[in-house]
Amino acid sequence: MASLVATSRRNPIAAEDYLAGWVFVLPALVIFVGFIFGPILYAFWLSFHSWNVVTPEKPFVALDNYRNLVDSDDFRIALRNTIWYSAGVVPAQTATGLILAVLANRKIRGRTFFRTAFYFPSISSSVVISIIFLWLYANNGLINFVLGTLGLPTPRPPWLSNPRGVFQIAFDAFGIHDVSPWLVGPSVALVSIMLMNVWTTTGTMMVIFLAGLQDIPGDVYEAAAVDGATQWRMFRDITLPLLRPVTLFVVTLGLIGTLQVFDQIFVMSEGGPAKTTTTLAWLVYVEGFRKFSMGSASAIAVVLFIITLGLFLVHRRFLGLTGDQ
Amino acid sequence: MEVEDTGRTIPRRSLLRGAARGASAIITASAFGPTMSHLERRAAAQEATQVRLTGAPSSPEESRLLEQVLQDFEAKFLDITVLWEPVTQQYAEKLQTDLAAGTAADVFYVDSLLSPDLAARGVLLPLDEPMAGAGVRAEDFYAGLIEAFQWQDKTYGLPKDWSSLAMVYDPQAFDGAGIVAPPTTWDELRSVAQALFDATGQAPIILPPDFARFIVFLYQAGGAVIGNDGSVAIDSPETRQALDFYYGLYKDGLAATPADVGAQWPGDAFAKDLGVIVFEGNWMFPFLAASAPDKRFLIAELPAGPAGKVTMGFTVSYSINAKATVPESAWELVNYLTGPEGMARWTDLGLAMPSRPALAEAWIATYPEREPYLAGGAYARPWQLGPGGQAFFQDANAILEAVFAGQTESQDAVTQFAEKAVADIKIT
Repeated sequence: MASLVATSRRNPIAAEDYLAGWVFVLPALVIFVGFIFGPILYAFWLSFHSWNVVTPEKPFVALDNYRNLVDSDDFRIALRNTIWYSAGVVPAQTATGLILAVLANRKIRGRTFFRTAFYFPSISSSVVISIIFLWLYANNGLINFVLGTLGLPTPRPPWLSNPRGVFQIAFDAFGIHDVSPWLVGPSVALVSIMLMNVWTTTGTMMVIFLAGLQDIPGDVYEAAAVDGATQWRMFRDITLPLLRPVTLFVVTLGLIGTLQVFDQIFVMSEGGPAKTTTTLAWLVYVEGFRKFSMGSASAIAVVLFIITLGLFLVHRRFLGLTGDQ
Repeated sequence: MEVEDTGRTIPRRSLLRGAARGASAIITASAFGPTMSHLERRAAAQEATQVRLTGAPSSPEESRLLEQVLQDFEAKFLDITVLWEPVTQQYAEKLQTDLAAGTAADVFYVDSLLSPDLAARGVLLPLDEPMAGAGVRAEDFYAGLIEAFQWQDKTYGLPKDWSSLAMVYDPQAFDGAGIVAPPTTWDELRSVAQALFDATGQAPIILPPDFARFIVFLYQAGGAVIGNDGSVAIDSPETRQALDFYYGLYKDGLAATPADVGAQWPGDAFAKDLGVIVFEGNWMFPFLAASAPDKRFLIAELPAGPAGKVTMGFTVSYSINAKATVPESAWELVNYLTGPEGMARWTDLGLAMPSRPALAEAWIATYPEREPYLAGGAYARPWQLGPGGQAFFQDANAILEAVFAGQTESQDAVTQFAEKAVADIKIT
């Protein structure tokens, strides 16, 4: 404020600009505070209270909601599912995004077509895509039809109704049946949704990687070519290191996106079968709107926020390091 | 003169609800001056009140048909207009948030499963007084239906209609397997299913991992979720017996889930000839008429279990918001829609059955082929599990899904049912 006063005394036009700046950002600011920042604070406040949604009383319960999470099976299951989801989707979408970007960056025929085609799923509504995949994964859907035609086995129960862990299926083949919940792995249903999400988000990652690739100066490659480097060496020793900030950005974006996965679950599985697609974001919804306990829903949301914030800080740190180099 | 004045100001009030409410109240007050008492003004304001009604119609057809009945109501009660606000998706969630925000309608549908949660939290108006005033008795309705809306000796809703579960089957498939009569016991159901399976090689029964179906078998075995003393009683040999029978049909290939055959729900599988026996409600009639009009089907009462005949009474009430702005008019609407005249008019449309036994005879004359559904009225149990029943339903379905996937043994599932019931169902 002091600097503002000082500036305005010296230069009235600067003060006017200052005011105009505020006026221009005001609509966005009001929306941000009213509909994003405000609710976040409210959720934080609610997480220390007990609220059944339909009556106004919200008694203060201190840390009870958080304490209940520690003992909650549902929370453990959701945390595990969310970790599987992120651990599966993020590397897959990053790798495929990078490969597609490198391919789409070459001077090949129909390059624009491929770029558009790969990006298309990212701009389609996730609800529409989820409904299409519901049909694809149905017992009499296209995926089972193709597998059947090729003489390959199809899962029973079918994809999205199958709560069996994918690692468990492998263990079963060796006659090992009772393994810890972690070793069971993500269910067939969760893996089905993960595959769909990789397909949907890869395009976005590709576009970001493409931008990064075009930032790499061509003379670096020319110099490498003069030194007799192979294509693979150039990719490994030039492209990958120079893309590092972009890769970190893509990974962080992917992590935030996967930690929040909700709409696909809502449309395709409602957290089932046997809660194996219950992610943290879905559990927030179930606790708040199906089980009348907005307090514990808020507590889960706060935990999810802390996880996401932690990952963001890690990302900042990494990016800072690369900036110094 | 005065009445005419009222006639002009009041509709304005109902049109410009909310913001204009205060202003028009001043207009009303000034028009009558200080001579009019508060009570008189209130009476005048009551003369053309608007009642907001919201619900979750199962189809656009249901919504359209309800509008016809509402027109009849408005023709009869000239001083009440009804604003019908159908909600097609996520009704329970919307109702909760509307109640929280204080914008819920005056009269709304309440599903039997959700009723205790709302009644226990005091957001529904107890109807005992207006019922007594209008001479409506709880005994006028099927006990298995109105009990779903009673909580601590008070009635919080009147069942608008209902449907039981019955066995819907394909007579051609039965003929093909040489079966002359539908099964009447669990043992017969198994042997009929076996005969059908032998004849076609296909799983004849469509059985979902859904607690809303399994609970019938649980009750038929003599089990209970909540015992007579009010404590959780689902951890019992009867539950085990019911689960072994229910899951046994699936495990032995006599039943398939809707997902197994690529259908949305059992009725969908039946309509697409993917199964020949389903346990579904009266909604199969409008559904099949729309999706498979040429399909031949018959219905029979559910096969009896070891503890006799049981079916579920699926019902929805008209309940009144405890904060309704016009409770008297809201009651008139509820009383009309659930009364002999309004209900007869509504159920005559064939979507559901009358929840008043007195109307049953006339209804069955119109729909004689649906007799097995109506017969269930004598032994239907309410689809309701106390406060927290909604939460338990979610958890119980997940347990059943794990059983059907071969992940959970029957006895473990019974233990898990009990753990979840204790955690979810708040018996206060």
